[in-house]
Amino acid sequence: MTLTLEHVVKKYKDFTAVNDLNFSIGKGEIFGLIGQNGAGKTTTFRMILDLQEQTSGNITWDGAPIKKINRDLLGYLPEERGIFPQMKVEEQLVFFGELRGMDRKELKSELDFWIKRFDIEEKRYDKAETLSKGNQQKVQLIASFIHKPKFLILDEPFSGLDPVNRDLLKNAILLLKERGTTILFSSHQMDNVEELCDHLCLLKRGVSLFSGSLLELKKQYGKTKLTIRTDYPIEKLEKMTGVLEAKEERDEYVLKLENESFAQSIFEAVSNGLYIEKFSLDYLSLDEIFKHKVGGDNE
Amino acid sequence: MNKLWILIKSLYKQKLRQKSFILMTLLYIAVIAVVMYWSEIKSIFINDEALQVALINETTIELDSIFSSNNDIAFTYPSESENIYKQLEQEELDAVVKISEENKNLKANIITYTPLKLTDQSTISSLIDYASKIYGIQQLEITAKEAEHLLDTEPIIINTNLNEDLADGKSEDEKQSGLWASYFVGIVIYFFLMTFLSMITTDVASEKGSRALEMLLVSVKPGIHFQSKLIGVFLIALTQFAIIFGVIYGFLRFTDGGAKWEIVKSFVNEISYSYVLYVIVFLLLTIFLYLIMGALFGSLVSKVEEASQVMTPAILVMLVGFYVMISGIGNPDTMLIKVFSYIPFTSGMVMPMRIGATDISTIEPIISLSILFITVVVAYVISLSFYKRSVLTYSTGGIIQKIKTVFKVTT
Repeated sequence: MTLTLEHVVKKYKDFTAVNDLNFSIGKGEIFGLIGQNGAGKTTTFRMILDLQEQTSGNITWDGAPIKKINRDLLGYLPEERGIFPQMKVEEQLVFFGELRGMDRKELKSELDFWIKRFDIEEKRYDKAETLSKGNQQKVQLIASFIHKPKFLILDEPFSGLDPVNRDLLKNAILLLKERGTTILFSSHQMDNVEELCDHLCLLKRGVSLFSGSLLELKKQYGKTKLTIRTDYPIEKLEKMTGVLEAKEERDEYVLKLENESFAQSIFEAVSNGLYIEKFSLDYLSLDEIFKHKVGGDNE
Repeated sequence: MNKLWILIKSLYKQKLRQKSFILMTLLYIAVIAVVMYWSEIKSIFINDEALQVALINETTIELDSIFSSNNDIAFTYPSESENIYKQLEQEELDAVVKISEENKNLKANIITYTPLKLTDQSTISSLIDYASKIYGIQQLEITAKEAEHLLDTEPIIINTNLNEDLADGKSEDEKQSGLWASYFVGIVIYFFLMTFLSMITTDVASEKGSRALEMLLVSVKPGIHFQSKLIGVFLIALTQFAIIFGVIYGFLRFTDGGAKWEIVKSFVNEISYSYVLYVIVFLLLTIFLYLIMGALFGSLVSKVEEASQVMTPAILVMLVGFYVMISGIGNPDTMLIKVFSYIPFTSGMVMPMRIGATDISTIEPIISLSILFITVVVAYVISLSFYKRSVLTYSTGGIIQKIKTVFKVTT
């Protein structure tokens, strides 16, 4: 494992921000840290980046304390957006690249590549403060990984981006992964986490509710979401054995089952040997699991 | 290039190109140039025609050489007639000075139609005074040589101080020169402190507020960042000094055939080179001390808009020093001046005045300088450790509340 957190605790005078956090990220993996606001995500990032000291526990990179690694191997995009407003885009990116020990020639080719990829070539010589919010965000993103870090932390990278730019970023993250960058990121948008992450950790008020692979998490809940498009009346569906809940969503019904074994009998009853337009048995979405895990405990 | 120098280079380049820096530098140069060339500028803008004065001499002595024409007053020497007073009414003449004898005294009557300005009145009065002295001497029936000796005689004043601990006693002239030089130095220090305190506080605050700092601090230790701000802004201050004094030096040296430069040289000779050296060391250390405070205060705020709020205490201390220095113009030997010349936050403005304008032992400036130096070192060490904690802590409320929050979340 490349990054490992063992029993990490961060206590302030009157509250505990992170409590006994454990997870590991493999090389070249994309790992999602998800949780509500105040769950301890940013504190965890800051501890990993040595911007804050943990109260106890160990954070290691390739077995050595992360504090001791070369800082130029790290990249970080903070949650709050901001860059040097007075600096021009290219100047800004060169500054961040040079600061992390990149030589000019390599920096130039990386710069050209990312500026083109993020479609901000026209803004290259503009002052950052004159850019739109979305473009500023792109510049900040490029600044966080222009130096080809081995380990990149992205705090809410998708927030504030429109669908087109979100796709641009998603593809960039996948490209970085291909290049061997280990990525840890947080997001409120679960569809992004679902699409990108190999593994994840679910945090609630500083406590880890789950840490492992996405599939593993989904399997904990099983395939209990059944979507049917049929003329069969919902009143009858609701009364079937194993159905916990039935809802009408647009032109289809969404059923929550006790477990996936009940799907067979429902199929037989609904189709009755006839054609059926849609009958889909799925795992719960990450969004639903998140709400269940985090929200459920609130109830 | 190491990270510290990359940060310094970036900050230096950025600040040097800033419009506010360029404008302030030009403004300083303009103000100093106006002061230096005031008489020339005045003659361009205020084209005062010479005062036309008719002198009617009813005495037996020759007054034409005393009342001789210059740039300010043009004298004519007509005999009294009705025409003269008409000229006065028609403003062809500004004044008629009628000098006569009365009981072995000179009597002067200044006749005007439009009242004279105070400065013109004073000039004419002083000429009459002088004429009166000449008249008095002539009444004594002494030789011209004796009269000249009588008028030119000046006392020889030597200051001898038996206390060997004190620097060699300064003459009144030296003290006066020192006083005005210190006044100038005090103002320069005050404006420079204001400019660079504000520059560093706003810079740190804006970096922190924009969150660019968080990205930086992943690659750079807070201590390095702190140092880069201090050194970068300090270099900017030195650059501004160099530009201003370079340009001023050029003005002095290459205009008027270097006449003004000779005046400055003789002035510096009068106030001594050690004074200049002390002033430079005090100035640099004081700027450094305020930069440390500025960087620390900047690290406390959450957004750049709060920068002026946290700067206020430092500005108040600076103002106190400035006004204490101003109070010294009247009397530089007060206890107030003495006390504030040892307080490190104000000594840079006040001690130069004591060195220049009072009799002070050589050890006193050294003690004050040592206190200032130690304060700079202690402030640096404390600020560095606090900066590491405060620079990533975001909080609301007043300055005390912010400090409390920093301690709360970092201990």
